[in-house]
Amino acid sequence: MQAADPVVAGGYFGRALVVDAGMATASTLPLADEVLRAYIGGAGLGAWLMHRLGPPGVDPLAPEAPLAFVFSPLVGTPLTTSAKFAVVAKSPLTGMLTDALASSQFAIAGKLTGHDAIVIRGACRQPSVLLVDGDGVRFIDAADLCGLPAAEAEKRLRESLGRSWRIAAIGPAGERGVRYATISHDGRHAGRGGLGAVMGSKRLKAIAVRAATKVASADPQAVLEAARDLRARSFGPATAKYRELGTLANLLAFNAISTLPTRNFQAATFSGAPLLAAEDLSKMRSVTRNSCASCTIGCEHIYSARGGKKIRVEYENVFALGPMCGVSDPDAVLAASGRCDELGVDTISAGGTIAWAMECAERGLIDAPWLRFGDAEGLMRALEEIGARQGLGELLAEGSRRAAEHVGGGSAAFAPHVKGLELPGYEPRTMQAMALGLAVNPRGADHNRSGAYEADLSGDLDRLAGGDAHVAAAVQTEDRAAVMDSLILCKFLRGVFSEPFEEWAALLSAVTGWDVDAAELRQTARRIVMAKRVFNIREGWRPQDDWLPERLLSEPLRIGSGRVAALTPERLRGMIAGYYAARGLDPEGRPDQASLTDLQLS
Amino acid sequence: MSSSAGIVLAGGRSSRMGTPKAALEWHGSTLLRRTIGIISRVIDGPVVVVRAPGQLLPELPSQVEVVDDPREGMGPVQGLAAGLAATAGRAEIAFVCSTDMPFLHPAFVRRVLRAAQEGADVGLPLARGFPQPLAASYRTALAPVAERLVAQQRLRPAFLFEECVVARLDEAALRADPILAALDPDLDSVVNINEPADYQAARARPAPEVTIQRFGTLADGHRGPQLIRAATVGGAAAAAGLALDGHVVAALNGEQITRDGQTPLATGDTVFFLAADAGG
Repeated sequence: MQAADPVVAGGYFGRALVVDAGMATASTLPLADEVLRAYIGGAGLGAWLMHRLGPPGVDPLAPEAPLAFVFSPLVGTPLTTSAKFAVVAKSPLTGMLTDALASSQFAIAGKLTGHDAIVIRGACRQPSVLLVDGDGVRFIDAADLCGLPAAEAEKRLRESLGRSWRIAAIGPAGERGVRYATISHDGRHAGRGGLGAVMGSKRLKAIAVRAATKVASADPQAVLEAARDLRARSFGPATAKYRELGTLANLLAFNAISTLPTRNFQAATFSGAPLLAAEDLSKMRSVTRNSCASCTIGCEHIYSARGGKKIRVEYENVFALGPMCGVSDPDAVLAASGRCDELGVDTISAGGTIAWAMECAERGLIDAPWLRFGDAEGLMRALEEIGARQGLGELLAEGSRRAAEHVGGGSAAFAPHVKGLELPGYEPRTMQAMALGLAVNPRGADHNRSGAYEADLSGDLDRLAGGDAHVAAAVQTEDRAAVMDSLILCKFLRGVFSEPFEEWAALLSAVTGWDVDAAELRQTARRIVMAKRVFNIREGWRPQDDWLPERLLSEPLRIGSGRVAALTPERLRGMIAGYYAARGLDPEGRPDQASLTDLQLS
Repeated sequence: MSSSAGIVLAGGRSSRMGTPKAALEWHGSTLLRRTIGIISRVIDGPVVVVRAPGQLLPELPSQVEVVDDPREGMGPVQGLAAGLAATAGRAEIAFVCSTDMPFLHPAFVRRVLRAAQEGADVGLPLARGFPQPLAASYRTALAPVAERLVAQQRLRPAFLFEECVVARLDEAALRADPILAALDPDLDSVVNINEPADYQAARARPAPEVTIQRFGTLADGHRGPQLIRAATVGGAAAAAGLALDGHVVAALNGEQITRDGQTPLATGDTVFFLAADAGG
């Protein structure tokens, strides 16, 4: 590797720091202007880095598998919601590319170490903390932090290192290789796909970063004006839901329109939903509201739980640990959510895997009489065993796909995952644009990389009858997500953009000095989506991986209006064929040579 | 092939009304728009409006197909033939009605369609003292029969009924459907309007009683269901103090999501108002 090339574009350093944790050394990888312009940053640049630095076929938990913390050109600007970073790796849950975003000061301090990304390869010999700042890279012993929740480890490290350090850490689940363990910073989590297990496999309890330099935008005045404008718009009706009630506002509405997955997708409405509704719970339990750094929305709603604990409440947490597991006691659901944060596990995968296990137990496929739908004590015991990888937890720590392969008995048909990643709280049978988005997304069943639910709830198409319009919506929302996740801007801001690609191109131009237009950004979006797919193909993706669980394709739902919501294999197959055609893929979902050349991977 | 289609015959001369009935105002919408909206809820196939050649129609939803009745003034069998021909091969059964039925209820459409779906060629209601061939269900395969009758100048529906299996649904049979009995006990679905006085009387009736519920930040102190009267989703939104825009959508009976304020409502409907952004 060589020294960094001269930086051309504003908002970048033009280099990634590549750390060898086994040798305790580091080098820099120059990031050419063309690469940065082609992939922007965040999830996009992360995909390029995985192509470049990930050995083909590597075990995601092997020392040589890279783990990348990737920043973006907007980090450090006054643009609202831009203080975000992506964590990218080959997922131990899916065996494919995963990227998860988190927010706040780690993004700013990490970037201001002077790098557009920090990539870690190798594994430490003993539990360690990686420190990165202007003095370079070093490791300190983390023996006294082992077993601690990420938040506690973060707190102790900042006490010992100093307040100027920002910490991303894993909990006990990451240390023990739970395949859906998270990486946490400041109460936010890079949650999906098991990135915490990748970090744990490197015996890294935490990564600490400290700002050492500055980065300039190409046109600071234009950026400042854009920031003022965006800030004003962020206070409007497009973000009211997030600001006033948070994402939990989805729950009761989703229940009303039969899109609330319940008891492992056996139903789409939950009789206990009113007990978990934000509309009431917020009045009784809300204690405060937080914002990420540089954010004017403030979506983070903190509730008080039994025993006085303060729990951050999100729709996905409550869906996965509540209706999905048949649990309606808000204290139990909040406690389970808080425990997931302490253990450092993804609530969606934890809830989905436990719900699958509850159904297995009820069917006699698993010998766990204590585990039943609706049993809050069983839910908590399952979480503890997962975090400790003990008892049934040893199996459930593997996620629902691997667990179903082990248990057999037809349980794979109702294992709630795509590509191994558990489904979020959007019922595919009653949201059929989303069904396609979940099926084809490179990360697996994921609502952050495919926002096709927007189309299902737009009124512009029949959400129960997937077809061409749903295909177009899935492609468009996936493209928009690819850009937002690479710039990076929070998705909760998306409603304020009336001409998103045009507006994002203007922001990127002001920061970098490039003359980016909407057409180029649309091409960039397609490139990023393609790069992820090509990575997965390299790692063994097969056409049958773009599919949904059998239950969703064989068990219709009757909804409140009397209409039957059925998503047949033929309908899904037709939508997937349309998606492949729209993406320029062959009928088996593989790209042509022109698409590969555009990726700039060589 | 879909199981059911909708055919609205809009081509009458409206001579007694003195103005085209299809375009008559109906609670901020039009009679034709209402009829289409009600039928669309029940069927899973195309909606076809049959009009007189060159007839101007009010604005219609984009998915509605318009076909011209090739011969004007030939009566309902001619319009029926044109509508059935337009839907044959795309749906097994079609609900056929005129555009002047302001109280048509989805439960009535569903019940009448079921008669043909159970094997008859025609599901013919006998309600409010008359057979109702323009509020009936027909097998679309009858299109050639209807066209032949037109060619033979046998223009009354009764001639068609002589040549096929007709399931006659008297009022008792209709009311045996508990949902229809509850939501349209007087079978007002078949009330049609022919003269200005009919229209004025119909327009003077109170709007249907429906339930609304606001969710999330839209609730704003109004949690739980609330009974109101509204003839359209837009009317219900106004009653809730809301405007359907980029940030607010309505879910009709927990199913159809819409921002179209002209979406018609019928007695017993429920309208949920929710934030358009479902990010979580």
